[in-house]
Amino acid sequence: MRQRRLRIVAATAVAALIALAGCSSNNGNSGGSGGSGGPAEITFWQSQFEPYQQKWFKTYVDKFNASQTDVKVKYQVVPGDTWQQKLKAAQAAGTQPDVATTNYGGIPAGVANGQFAELDKLLPGKAWSDIKSNVGGFVQVDGKHYAYPMLVEPSTVLYYRTDLVKAAGLDPNAPPKTWDELLTWAEKLTKGKVKGMSIASVATDLGWSSWGLQYNACGHLPINDDWSAANAKDPCYTKLFEFYQTLFQKGWIPQQPKVGYPDATPYGQGQVAMMANGSWAVGQLKQTFPAMIKNTAVAPFPSVDGDPSKPTATLGGWTLTVDAKSKHKEAAAKFIEYLLAGDPAIMADFFRQSGFSKYTVRTSVDQALAGDPAATADPFMKIISDKVVATGKAEPAYPFDISLAFATAIESVMKGKSDIPTATQKASDAIDRVIKQQRLKGTAPKG
Amino acid sequence: MIDTPAQPTAQAGAATDPGRTSRRRRRRPTKITEQVPRHLRAHLTAYLMITPMVVLLGIFVIWPLVYAFYLSFFEMSFYKDAEFVGFDFYKYVLTDPEFYESLLVGLKLALMVVPTILVLALLLASFLATLSKRMAAFMKTTVYVPAVVSSVVAAIIFVFIYQDEGFANWFIGLFGQGPLAWLNTASTALPAVAVPAIWLGFGVSTLIMLAGILDIPESYFESARLDGANFWQRTRYITIPSLRNVILFLLVSGLTLTIQEFQLPLVMTNGGPVNATNTPNLYIFNSFRDATPYATSYSLTAALLLFLVIGTISLVIFRVVSSEKSSDA
Repeated sequence: MRQRRLRIVAATAVAALIALAGCSSNNGNSGGSGGSGGPAEITFWQSQFEPYQQKWFKTYVDKFNASQTDVKVKYQVVPGDTWQQKLKAAQAAGTQPDVATTNYGGIPAGVANGQFAELDKLLPGKAWSDIKSNVGGFVQVDGKHYAYPMLVEPSTVLYYRTDLVKAAGLDPNAPPKTWDELLTWAEKLTKGKVKGMSIASVATDLGWSSWGLQYNACGHLPINDDWSAANAKDPCYTKLFEFYQTLFQKGWIPQQPKVGYPDATPYGQGQVAMMANGSWAVGQLKQTFPAMIKNTAVAPFPSVDGDPSKPTATLGGWTLTVDAKSKHKEAAAKFIEYLLAGDPAIMADFFRQSGFSKYTVRTSVDQALAGDPAATADPFMKIISDKVVATGKAEPAYPFDISLAFATAIESVMKGKSDIPTATQKASDAIDRVIKQQRLKGTAPKG
Repeated sequence: MIDTPAQPTAQAGAATDPGRTSRRRRRRPTKITEQVPRHLRAHLTAYLMITPMVVLLGIFVIWPLVYAFYLSFFEMSFYKDAEFVGFDFYKYVLTDPEFYESLLVGLKLALMVVPTILVLALLLASFLATLSKRMAAFMKTTVYVPAVVSSVVAAIIFVFIYQDEGFANWFIGLFGQGPLAWLNTASTALPAVAVPAIWLGFGVSTLIMLAGILDIPESYFESARLDGANFWQRTRYITIPSLRNVILFLLVSGLTLTIQEFQLPLVMTNGGPVNATNTPNLYIFNSFRDATPYATSYSLTAALLLFLVIGTISLVIFRVVSSEKSSDA
């Protein structure tokens, strides 16, 4: 009996030790070093994008690691839908990455939270002066730089099948200019199993893909400029709600979309005749559905009243940021300088790989591409650059909860769950609640 | 508890030879364990055996829970000092209509799934109990198969079933109906999510129910048959009362698990259309999306409130359907 008890006591002690060992904290790898005298080891998390992007990042991370011995970059791809959860878990454990991809809209909130290191002194002056003037403000808060931009991509462009347009008796050289004309096209192009067009129809996609059309309808987003109160009940939004509602309820867009807004597969597979999508869809069409290119034309997305000078898209895009708690900020900045701000040929290669579906943010990269016949001969690049990017607005910096509240209103109206006044009232109340609870009043970025 | 049977034996030995025992007692120094009260000493082994589990529960369940409640009074940032905000986040969650909508969605889903599973499982288990051994073994395996399918895989399979040209629309087409946008119509989306939840859950429930049925003495059924009771009467007056505790277990575990359903709506609808399938856990998961300190504290507080809600529901069920020892225990 005594021996048995001893065994039990010993087993208990072992179990407790194992449990405690399991609890022992991980010292983390943020800012870790390869040992005294070795290279500074930094971690780099990249949000997962199109496959060619992962290949491009991997290639140049390897080249950077091979080109010098001071800094070693550990590269990791993280799926977008688990990014926040994984990042927060890493931040809680102190293992957050030194360098991470961050979208323009996430910069002001991150700066307010003290999450990003200021980069002005970590990168040379010529790196900042090379950034195009319309993008410079995207990465600044109160005049200081907290990110280095990589690209811009407009969120909404109209793609259409020239062969189907001709067959429907429409002129492919005169794409629709107003929302009413677009609805007419969608109706005429809906035949059998082919729907007139695809566009976002669920709140999480509508939340960001409709920003440009919100600007187009009203000239503002559903919140005051100083973020003091909701502005979702403005009657000018009625046309926007009716536009989405008509497309869905008339059955001119897929009733059960198989993929999200950014995915061009339904268009590529011939299930829809037109597509609202970001400029990135050009890359997907070129790489996955090359046969579709010869029958595809692009145009700026129509405007509510036909005025082409009004914005129809926001300019989204990605940057690299350095974590404020990184122990190797200089090393992290050195990597960013190499990848995004150094030899223009590196970024020129990126835009070539993308099939010119994304747009440069540096003058020197434009110059590097100017002599590239593939870039100058691209049938889509000039239209998107001159007519969509030129009128594009910056992504809003407020919390996504606000975008989601307004998008839920659009979805409610589309799917017949609410009428427009009820939906906008609900959105307005939700936005006011976000403003109050997240103390947003007066915190809107200046300029 | 394990020591208990040994003690009367020792005492019996002492009674037969008192002198030997008293000499041994005089020589032996008093051990620390003997200073512990007798009733605690008697259960020492039992306490020692449950200690690892208590320690693990304390470290991985109790302490995180207590700490989570503590943290819910702060707006947490991983980069700045946490700001004490008292009950602010409780107020934010409790005044958010979407929190209540998500609870309602969870309850509606549970009401669709759990009673259906219980009825199906009872009928199927009653049928299995009448089969030959070989046939019953085959059927049990067949019934259990969905339980080993990952719910993500099941969700994807059912997304295909509900597509425009999927099986569901083909089937209703036979009756001249449809096609329906099953997963993108507010009225059909939640029942469409409930179907795979039932399919995944009824296998385990059937086997548990079958084990309960096989535990009922056969003599009860024989007497009932002799008295002329039919299948429904035997089920009503013998099977169901004898399975009271089994049904209670399946009811409580089914309700708590279904209200917390997460993967099926995440994969099939992402909570849509217009939050029609936004279950509480999915609501909490999605509120974690923003990178702000607010989002972190909000989702933590919502999770704690969900814990309280589900705990309360379980308590109410236990009070309403009190568990009892089975009649032949």
